[in-house]
Amino acid sequence: MSLFAEVWEAVKAVGAGLGAVNKRISEPAVTEFYPYKKPEIPPVSVQFLALIQNEDGTDRCVACLQCERVCPSQVITIERKRNPEGKGFVLERFDLDFANCMHCANCVEACPVSAIVTVGAFEHAVYDINLLKADKAMLDHIGHEARVWYSPKFGVELRTPEGKIQKAPPEMQPGGLAELLKAEGGEAS
Amino acid sequence: MRGPTTVEPVPGRTDELIINMGPQHPATHGVLKVVIGVEGERITRAVPHIGFLHRNHEKIEEARTYPQIITYTDRMDYVSGLQNELPFILAVEDLLGVEVPQRAKLIRTIFFELFRIASHLVWLGTGMLDLGAITPFLYTFRDREMILEITEKTAGARMLPNYFTFGGVRRDVHPDFFKDVAHFLDFFETRLPDYYALVLDSPVFQARAVGVGVLSRERAIARGASGPVLRASGVAYDVRKAEPYDAYPDLEFQVPTRTEGDVFARFWVRFKEMEESVKIIRQALEKVPKTGPYKGKVPPRVKPKPGARYRAVEISRGHLGTYVVSDGSERPLRVKHRSPSFANLQLIPDLFVGARFADAIAILSSLDPVFGEVDR
Repeated sequence: MSLFAEVWEAVKAVGAGLGAVNKRISEPAVTEFYPYKKPEIPPVSVQFLALIQNEDGTDRCVACLQCERVCPSQVITIERKRNPEGKGFVLERFDLDFANCMHCANCVEACPVSAIVTVGAFEHAVYDINLLKADKAMLDHIGHEARVWYSPKFGVELRTPEGKIQKAPPEMQPGGLAELLKAEGGEAS
Repeated sequence: MRGPTTVEPVPGRTDELIINMGPQHPATHGVLKVVIGVEGERITRAVPHIGFLHRNHEKIEEARTYPQIITYTDRMDYVSGLQNELPFILAVEDLLGVEVPQRAKLIRTIFFELFRIASHLVWLGTGMLDLGAITPFLYTFRDREMILEITEKTAGARMLPNYFTFGGVRRDVHPDFFKDVAHFLDFFETRLPDYYALVLDSPVFQARAVGVGVLSRERAIARGASGPVLRASGVAYDVRKAEPYDAYPDLEFQVPTRTEGDVFARFWVRFKEMEESVKIIRQALEKVPKTGPYKGKVPPRVKPKPGARYRAVEISRGHLGTYVVSDGSERPLRVKHRSPSFANLQLIPDLFVGARFADAIAILSSLDPVFGEVDR
């Protein structure tokens, strides 16, 4: 191939590439304008973990130590004492070190009472690593702030503006498809 | 044959220049150091140094219970995170004797192939970035973002979801999942011609890739290469065909093979693999029941029978195998991972020596190593 033909080939190739780009140039931008417009994180997404309290302000957690046991990086520390009134245990201390957390959500899977959950809050970057060591007050606070959360036992739950906790509609639930299809079939028949 | 571990200047020889490429070289996709001796433009010697990202996976895994280990396997090849969980899970399932429901198998297969597309898109974007083309990078990462969003909605994380588990998957899929995947496939099929126009069909790229870094069939087999690198050298070996796992026996697909063994062939094979993945996911979407069980019956405490099992899967980079030895307790006695990037990286001296220095970057990006998995 002569030099001229080679140059012509290269020019044609660049032209073809520009053509492919040109075809897409008027498409809407996919960039997220993050600090100004916050993305909606699905509740199953493992970002922050939180402790959920019941509507009357008591702990859901029964201090069974399951989450402490399954944690691969051993970031959960629980201290408990016998419940003075009634049976079971109550929490004395619940520490979770987010700095070492691997975000695997094994604790959420293991929890038998849906006390530790994943919430959609994700902005936990801080300047001091010690601020990532969460105690029970902080985890409770994240749980109070959360509007929607997920745990395998109860599925996705919502907190209404009045402070009531209720199950989310099936459109948000993992496996909600069964209910949706049944509802569709019910309407059709 | 034991190769040299360092490159020392030969006394009295002044025409050879020794260059350290890496460990912070942007084209090494992680932390690889290659000590290269060049004579003019030709590479005379090349010695890869690995281990900068060593995290002692296999030893840590001996001290963890079986469900905890799944989290660690994700972190080997972080670009195709979900795929790494499968060989370990298959091995433990065999030891436990767990039945996996067909629906769970199909969901796993859909995710497996989605991550293959995602991984190949990262490779295409960054590989072309190494060769000096920026546009494919911007396009591929947008497409990959769609896969990651689908994954986050169902699996709970974008890259390291820890979603597969013994007996199936952790939770049922999001109601939008099948719709989203079908939408992504339609979208991706309109995008593939763009990639062909920008990369594979471009004479500028072909001038850079054809005939560069030729790997012969014999050399590829001798060095234990796998994945697209092996298939580009004319060996039609694919674990999905050789030892089918999950739902692959029920699905129809081709194994794209090429005989040239150069950089262009390795690019071509990965392009065709993305097309095959789209076909596989389409078939799986047709077959998968919308509702049903997503997890088989697994004992609450995972304690496999004493014994050993080796299972392999075909991840985006090749043959990933996991050998699990159980002594009947909650923790495995030994877990060994056979990772494809590590074996493929052995080809560096073979392919680099005799090539031009600028082609070394092209060869390295066509091998597509991920260092989380090389060093483990």
